[in-house]
Amino acid sequence: MSGVSLVGVTKMYGQVKALDHVSIEVKEGELLALLGPSGCGKTTLLRCVAGLEVPDRGTLEIGAVDVTGVPTRARPIGMVFQSYALFPNLTVRENVAFPLEVRHRPKPEVKARVEELLDLVRLSAQADRYPKQISGGQAQRCALARALAPDPEVLLLDEPLSALDALVRGRLRDEIRRIQQRVGITAIYVTHDQSEAMAIADRVAVMNGGRVEQIAAPADLYDEPTSQFSATFVGSRNAVELAVKDGRIGIPGSFQIRAPDGSNGHALAFFRPEDVRVARGDAAAGMEARVELKVFLGATTRLHLIGEADGKPVSIFSDLPSRQARSIDEGETVRVDVDPDHVQAFPA
Amino acid sequence: MAVAADPGAIHRGKRGFTSRAVRYLFFGMVLFYFLVPVAAVLVYSFATRWTANVLPDGYTLEWWQATLGDQRIQSAFSTSIALATLTAIIDIAVVVPAAYWSRVRNARIRNVAEVTAAIPFALPYVVIAFGLMQFSGILAPQYQGTFPLLVAGHAAIAFPFVYWAVDGAMSAAGIERLSETAEACGASPIQTIWRVVLPNISPGLVTGGLLSFAASFGEFAMAQIIGRSIDTVPLWSAEMIRSYNDTAGSYNRLAVVTLLTFAILFVLSAVVVYWNRGQTVRLLPGASAGTQGDGR
Repeated sequence: MSGVSLVGVTKMYGQVKALDHVSIEVKEGELLALLGPSGCGKTTLLRCVAGLEVPDRGTLEIGAVDVTGVPTRARPIGMVFQSYALFPNLTVRENVAFPLEVRHRPKPEVKARVEELLDLVRLSAQADRYPKQISGGQAQRCALARALAPDPEVLLLDEPLSALDALVRGRLRDEIRRIQQRVGITAIYVTHDQSEAMAIADRVAVMNGGRVEQIAAPADLYDEPTSQFSATFVGSRNAVELAVKDGRIGIPGSFQIRAPDGSNGHALAFFRPEDVRVARGDAAAGMEARVELKVFLGATTRLHLIGEADGKPVSIFSDLPSRQARSIDEGETVRVDVDPDHVQAFPA
Repeated sequence: MAVAADPGAIHRGKRGFTSRAVRYLFFGMVLFYFLVPVAAVLVYSFATRWTANVLPDGYTLEWWQATLGDQRIQSAFSTSIALATLTAIIDIAVVVPAAYWSRVRNARIRNVAEVTAAIPFALPYVVIAFGLMQFSGILAPQYQGTFPLLVAGHAAIAFPFVYWAVDGAMSAAGIERLSETAEACGASPIQTIWRVVLPNISPGLVTGGLLSFAASFGEFAMAQIIGRSIDTVPLWSAEMIRSYNDTAGSYNRLAVVTLLTFAILFVLSAVVVYWNRGQTVRLLPGASAGTQGDGR
């Protein structure tokens, strides 16, 4: 087992830069999620690692071996596609055996390995069915077993859960993670779903416009986005535009922080709805705001609040534990306070 | 299994009866339309004289014996079968790699292939045959009037049948995706084609092969112009019609040949239908919905 290292990988489609000098180090045994909106280059990057796309520039190493010019079939990879891509003319068992058979492994070895994998993904009972006779979740588990069969150094997953319904998606996500950790394989996981990336990955690489914006552990990414794009893309966040005064920005009665470098007159302050404290009564700290709307979401209740900063109305969301929100009514005036430690600011 | 996939299956009530009756009625009409001419030919092939009455005056095995024993007909059949078989084989061998390449590697081939595949439908075979005559006269005059040139001509006009059938099958199977998957599984190009591509397009392959076989088997104009001295079944039939001779039973013997031709194509079609039905269960979505949906 070993890691993957990309250095300065660039891929052009005509005039469009699908990948712009991407350098990523995936550590041995780590699951790295590539997260971003469609067209950000995450799938192109994965296909470059697989060899299905040839980068125009840059180098790619798998386990300290340069594989930049190596064709797909000779790379030590296993791949799972969004659309399952099982061979419809082969049964589940034959699909899993396929990568071993094309490598001419001895028959008894193939048989033993296939049984082991079917057991790992819990498909032994469906082994003799054809792909059209099993459900989407089963199909994707079969595809996972097939990808792992030749014992590759890297597992590549291209939005493996996108075609599944919500319930199956959550269960299969946890199962993929369990299997990846049990096998101890290095994995790259492409997704556009940030909660999926957070739940499954050791580290998340946020991509935008063919570039990597940030690579961080899920909790760090959630708490401290280093770019405006990661701040808006990861989790739901308040984004408030504030005027810079004496090199500082803030909302009245609440936080005052140093304006970010490079801000020109205005800056954007980002903070999470769950970090917004709401209190009643004039004695409480914070900015005065009106409760416009109250939305019950189960465990939490979301308040849409309208306050005023720099002489302009400011719209802020707050997520409160529902029990605490019960006593607050729509139309009421409350005090809103945000801990400055939880605010990130970027030039507007 | 196919029945379980029919969404109307659970709602069969009174309305189901009427719709079923209508279905059988139409099926009967289609059957009638196809079978009556065949039946007429069949009766004719056994008839002594069949002129004034609804049924023939008498029956005889003479025409069948005479036709089956006729060396010229035997050789016309073996020529036509060899011609049609070679045509189908050449077309499959040429078209499948081209269609595959155009889908997986170079989409630009596609435009060329599609235009070329339209030509035999747009131009009369006589025109194409004449063009081939001219062309071969310049390029290889020694082949004019020979069997190989006729095979080449038939392969040229019958290939669109293979192309459309195979291209459709590749599209339905999502062959680009399957090829990439096979590659990621470590398969070589030959392993990919042999173990993944061919099995998944086999319905289109068999259908296309049969269509090109049938197109070549029944082709007349090109055989007439290019083939000259070569005796194929359609050429023999045309001669029978032209040299009508009542006492020799020309039309009765023609009926026998027609039935033999029909039998050959029917048996081939039956094989195709049987073959494709086996594939349908595995390859078409919903074909086996009855066994699906037990948990994840």
